[in-house]
Amino acid sequence: MANAFVAAFEILSFGAIIVLIVLGLGIIASMMGIFNFAQGEFVLLGAYITYLAYAKGMPIWAGMVAAPFVVGALGFALEALIIRRFYAAPIVAMLGTYALGLIIRESVRGLIGGFYLTVPEPIGGSIDIGAMHISAWRFTIIVITLLVMAGCYLLLSRTSFGLRMRATLENPSLARASGISTPLMYGATFAFGSALAGLAGALIVPVFSLYADLGLRFLIQGFVAVMVGGVGSFIGPVAGAGVIGTLSAALPWVMAPVVADVLVFVLAIVFIKFRPQGLIAGKGV
Amino acid sequence: MLKSMGAAKQAVHTGVGDGTDVSVAGAVSSGRSSGLKILPIVEAVVLVAALLAPLVLQDYLTVFATRVIILALFALSFDLVWGYAGIMSFGQALFFGSAGYGVALLARDLDITNIFLVLPAGTLIGLAFALLLGGFLLLGRHPSSVIFVSLGTLTGSYAADRLARGWYYLGGQNGIPSIAPMSLGTYEFTEGPAFYYLVLGILVLVYLLCRFLVRSQFGLALAGLRENEQRIAFFGYKAQHLKAIIFTIGGAVAGLAGSLYAFHEGFVWPNMVGVVVSTQVVLYVLFGGSGTLIGAVIGAVIVEGVSFWLSDNYRDIWPIILGVLLLVVILFRPLGLISFMLGERERVGSFGAKAKENP
Repeated sequence: MANAFVAAFEILSFGAIIVLIVLGLGIIASMMGIFNFAQGEFVLLGAYITYLAYAKGMPIWAGMVAAPFVVGALGFALEALIIRRFYAAPIVAMLGTYALGLIIRESVRGLIGGFYLTVPEPIGGSIDIGAMHISAWRFTIIVITLLVMAGCYLLLSRTSFGLRMRATLENPSLARASGISTPLMYGATFAFGSALAGLAGALIVPVFSLYADLGLRFLIQGFVAVMVGGVGSFIGPVAGAGVIGTLSAALPWVMAPVVADVLVFVLAIVFIKFRPQGLIAGKGV
Repeated sequence: MLKSMGAAKQAVHTGVGDGTDVSVAGAVSSGRSSGLKILPIVEAVVLVAALLAPLVLQDYLTVFATRVIILALFALSFDLVWGYAGIMSFGQALFFGSAGYGVALLARDLDITNIFLVLPAGTLIGLAFALLLGGFLLLGRHPSSVIFVSLGTLTGSYAADRLARGWYYLGGQNGIPSIAPMSLGTYEFTEGPAFYYLVLGILVLVYLLCRFLVRSQFGLALAGLRENEQRIAFFGYKAQHLKAIIFTIGGAVAGLAGSLYAFHEGFVWPNMVGVVVSTQVVLYVLFGGSGTLIGAVIGAVIVEGVSFWLSDNYRDIWPIILGVLLLVVILFRPLGLISFMLGERERVGSFGAKAKENP
């Protein structure tokens, strides 16, 4: 019983991490039609900023709060300078963002060297429920993920900013005619997606420690999750991330990890082949 | 027509050299090009340089040059798929690496190293994997989106990497070390000039075959596919079948390159099937110029050469420079370095046996 509970918690917490990482990727892919290969490096930057704060003797919390803002600002700048030129061609956008990611990743590698740097958990220890212990920080990640998800949903569905964002997505020319500044909306959307990646990086760095390929590790899982969930809506990629995250964490409990690892990808690709619109079809929130 | 005029003007402005500029402009204005063609000259120069290289290079550089030639062959396979048919294969290393693993297993478990057995075997392995993956991704009742194909190939390559890392039979993280050298009777191909000329011969042969292929009517249909898939479908071509065929051919060439690479390096390791090598080949082709065969070769030579040259002093910042250069090429020179020399008309070229003009 206790074992099953721990397993369930592990699965849930990994699922939450994948959802957190996919949120930003999904918003950029759904709202802008760009599969951002640099998203993994935005995650890495968030992690690096948190590490910097810790290394300089500042509280880790400060780094975690700063990370989304810094990465978001960088995302805004990159969108205005470079990403903007790619909207017409999705494949070129992939290659261009890959090049950006390469630059960021190798710069961070140069800064930290080939090491695995650990950052302690801001909330250490464990929560005891009867005889079972679960990591307090992983629990916090689950809670924050739920809050961020709810926040994003409300932002997109209930605020005028969200309305303008969706209007820009669905019909750019009509949105322009209605007085919405579409370039600004694209910039804001990209910045928002990047900020979410920065936040994800900041939160997961105590769990995975900091190394240059941290972001790359999640990138392909993230893409697969977005495709499984369905591009075009907010809720689709989140659902896809839930499924992929849960499967990746759950399957190794019942079969050899190597087989499980590959099986998740094979299942996902087969699923997308026969249901290209994904789990949740349609546009909107 | 207007587009090619623009390209010719661009060539004048970038100042490649007075004689060549005139010939490009002349080719454009006179319709049928009677003047000097640049592409064959570039090809000849590259070939002569490649033939002479081992005579002037030191031994260890010849070994390095052999590796570059193999990678150029690999680049050719990606160029066929992306440059000519417009299929973004982010998983080309899957065919390269699986063939490498395949021949490594042949050599390790069955003691088969005969060149006439292992190279066809590697080619077949690449072909089979490409047929499976390409058939699955590209064929079907509904045409697949470009995004799905590119992410599907990427995922395939990543999954293969994970599998190779975790599978004890394939050597896990360490791969398969010390593969026996390729043999012909009692002669063994070890690193050096003989191996170099063997690889160069294969490259030239494959290059000529590819050149014939992309200049045939099949190549014309592929070019149409790249520019406007829907229109080609309306003309009555089975666009998906064309794509699957060229994808499979690309896989076979990658497999050939992979088996040569395995025997040349003497070992295979998981990166060879993974995302790292997959994206590396994309870099080569984008740099050199996709959509021209020689562009892929030049790209591989330049990227590998500069990386080798810089790796002594600037090992850490070279990947960053590479990223910046790639970004610059994508933003400002989407047709790659070769477009500095080649006009649009010559890049697109002509098709069919009688080489009719297709403006």
